Amino acid sequence: MNMAVTNIGRRRFLKMLGSASVYATLGAAGVAGAQTQRYGKLVDTTRCIGCKRCMSACKRWNKLEVERDEMVTDRETDLSAQNWVVVNLRADAKNREERTYEHWACQHCIQPACAGVCPVRAIIKLPRGNVVVNEKKCIGCRYCYQACPYKVPRFDFVKRVTRKCHLCYDRIPLLNYMKPACVAACPVEALSFDYKHEIILEAKRRVSKEKNARYILGLKEAGGTDMLTILPARPQDLGLVVAPRKVVNQNLDKLRITGAGFMGVSGLAGLMYTYATLTQGKNKRDHDQSD
Amino acid sequence: MINQIKKHLDLILNDMERSPAFYIWVSILLSMVAVAGYALLLSLIYSLEIFEFSIHVIWVTMVSNYVFLVVSSTGLCIVTSLGHVFGMQRYELVAKRGVFLALITIIFGMISIGAHLGHPERAMVFNALTPNFYSAMWWMGTLYTFYIVFISVEYWLLARDELKKRAEQAEGVERTIFGYLALKKLDDSRLGAVLKDHKLLQAVGAAALVSGLSAHNTLGALFGHIEARPLWYGSYYPVYFLLSASFCGFAWLLAVSIGTYKLKREEIPEDYMSLIFEMAQVLALLLSVGLLFTVYKMGFGLFTPIKVKPIMLFLKGPFSIAFWLFEIAIGTVLPIPILLYAVGRRNITGVLVASSMVLVGVYVMRYDFVVAAQIYPVIKNGLPSYLPTFMEVLFIGGVLGALFLTYTLGAIFLPLKEERHGHTA
Ligand code: SF4
Ligand code: SF4
Ligand code: SF4
Repeated sequence: MNMAVTNIGRRRFLKMLGSASVYATLGAAGVAGAQTQRYGKLVDTTRCIGCKRCMSACKRWNKLEVERDEMVTDRETDLSAQNWVVVNLRADAKNREERTYEHWACQHCIQPACAGVCPVRAIIKLPRGNVVVNEKKCIGCRYCYQACPYKVPRFDFVKRVTRKCHLCYDRIPLLNYMKPACVAACPVEALSFDYKHEIILEAKRRVSKEKNARYILGLKEAGGTDMLTILPARPQDLGLVVAPRKVVNQNLDKLRITGAGFMGVSGLAGLMYTYATLTQGKNKRDHDQSD
Repeated sequence: MINQIKKHLDLILNDMERSPAFYIWVSILLSMVAVAGYALLLSLIYSLEIFEFSIHVIWVTMVSNYVFLVVSSTGLCIVTSLGHVFGMQRYELVAKRGVFLALITIIFGMISIGAHLGHPERAMVFNALTPNFYSAMWWMGTLYTFYIVFISVEYWLLARDELKKRAEQAEGVERTIFGYLALKKLDDSRLGAVLKDHKLLQAVGAAALVSGLSAHNTLGALFGHIEARPLWYGSYYPVYFLLSASFCGFAWLLAVSIGTYKLKREEIPEDYMSLIFEMAQVLALLLSVGLLFTVYKMGFGLFTPIKVKPIMLFLKGPFSIAFWLFEIAIGTVLPIPILLYAVGRRNITGVLVASSMVLVGVYVMRYDFVVAAQIYPVIKNGLPSYLPTFMEVLFIGGVLGALFLTYTLGAIFLPLKEERHGHTA
């Protein structure tokens, strides 16, 4: 099992060496090219031991509040403006004996519904993969919460803005190597972080090789997400929120619905016009009377 | 000085407005506003959390109240534009009161949503600086801004003649105030002639109607776009909102104008009387179409797997009383026979009762529509209570109180009465 992890690590190291020489020869153009590489976070729930170190590391890095008893293993916690990642024990509905810890956070959708509906573009998808809320710009309308298929962005009632996991966008740029705080903190390598194509390969490898790994969440869900989760069972059996296996809130779909509304508008205008012309006579009569 | 003001007021106020009942009414409204101000202050000092309903249900009464008020505003705009946009002269009678109501409902609707937003001040700035054209909310905010401008100008154009007349009749300070309100100075300029032209009113009215309907459509789309909320998702709501706007508009106008005449103990003009019964008939027709829509929504929902659970919340879940009693019985089914009966008997009170019932029903319907949709998919075992929080009730009470207070003052000081205005004469 650990072999796989070191594999990822070694490959990444070689890549770093490789890209260092490429940077040297190509200069800035090479750097820009490398930056558009998409990263992803891989969560292997079959390895998680429920220690919640990812939670506390996230809180430390992002200066979030810690609530009393929240860090106790097995204590059920919900995502909130202060909890950007949670770890909860979930049982497989088909096999009650089998229980795993689910590390849960923003899935960093490839086409995020949250960013699509934000009226002021306070949420953006960075080329590296992070979906980030700009807290200086958010107007606190909570529309993103309604649109997100996983119900992730939570409202901070004190700061009056929406906050959520940003895949540590403020750590990745450092040398292009620093992992997100939660990944760095995990003691059993249940979390890993790499180029997106690498984690897809790794996730597929684990599902085909390892006994408990059965399902990869995030390949199709919400049109694909940059966080992949290896689950021991289907998400609906584990009681997780199920997203449709397609892009959520596509722009074309929005256009279709708005268009139907505009057809309604023209229909209404037509009805008003008909009402006006059909009862024209009545108008005259009233007018004559009042004159 | 105070004596002078008193003398002025004495001339304006009628018997009813000098009676103790009137003072009680105004003080009730004022205290509602004060309490709401207190709630708002608390939310600013501590946190918005005092309005929180549940961590998963984040749009509650402030949003539903906003939806109710802006839908009413569009509805009033629809009814009044039958007059000066579609050329139905008899509807010009209700233009002033209707447009004034449309203006104040949208303004207090905006106040309601402004208090809900975390940072309303940023909303204005970033709406302009970094628009997201794919967001229905952006379109809604922008179009409603235009709508407010158009509808204000529309009211001013409608009321201008009357304001001028009042300026001529009054003396002293009042004369100056009304003179300025009517921009009397413009009269001798070329602009004055343009202002008097009925075409201008028609154009502004049309602009208000187009922006209002478009804004309204994006409001429906705002909910309709949300694929993650099965109850809202789809093109049903943008279309249904238009219909419900129309019956809200008629209901508001009927309830408020008849109520005002009754309370002021004034005689309803004869030609307005016949319009009231015509509007009552149209309202009954619209309500029956609305009923068909509701039946379609519920029936269709029962055959759409993802919509079944939220629909069941209405049919026999925690929202069943609100649905069957308020939305169906009080809001839609009962008013129809009452209206028809009242039209047959030429009974004004019947129309007043039925249209008020419609408003109550629609108000509850908006609340259900906003809250019930948020139960799925996250809340699995239901909530202990589906009633709005106390603080929110206080705040919303204040918003409605301020709305009625503004209307009361408007009914005294501004031209709202059902009289033909100068443009057509
Ligand atoms: S999971 Fe939700 S919050 Fe995260 S990127 Fe996707 S839509 Fe946005
Ligand atoms: S709450 Fe903030 S981030 Fe979310 S949609 Fe509204 S403005 Fe955008
Ligand atoms: S990636 Fe960073 S922000 Fe997101 S959960 Fe992990 S530590 Fe928190």
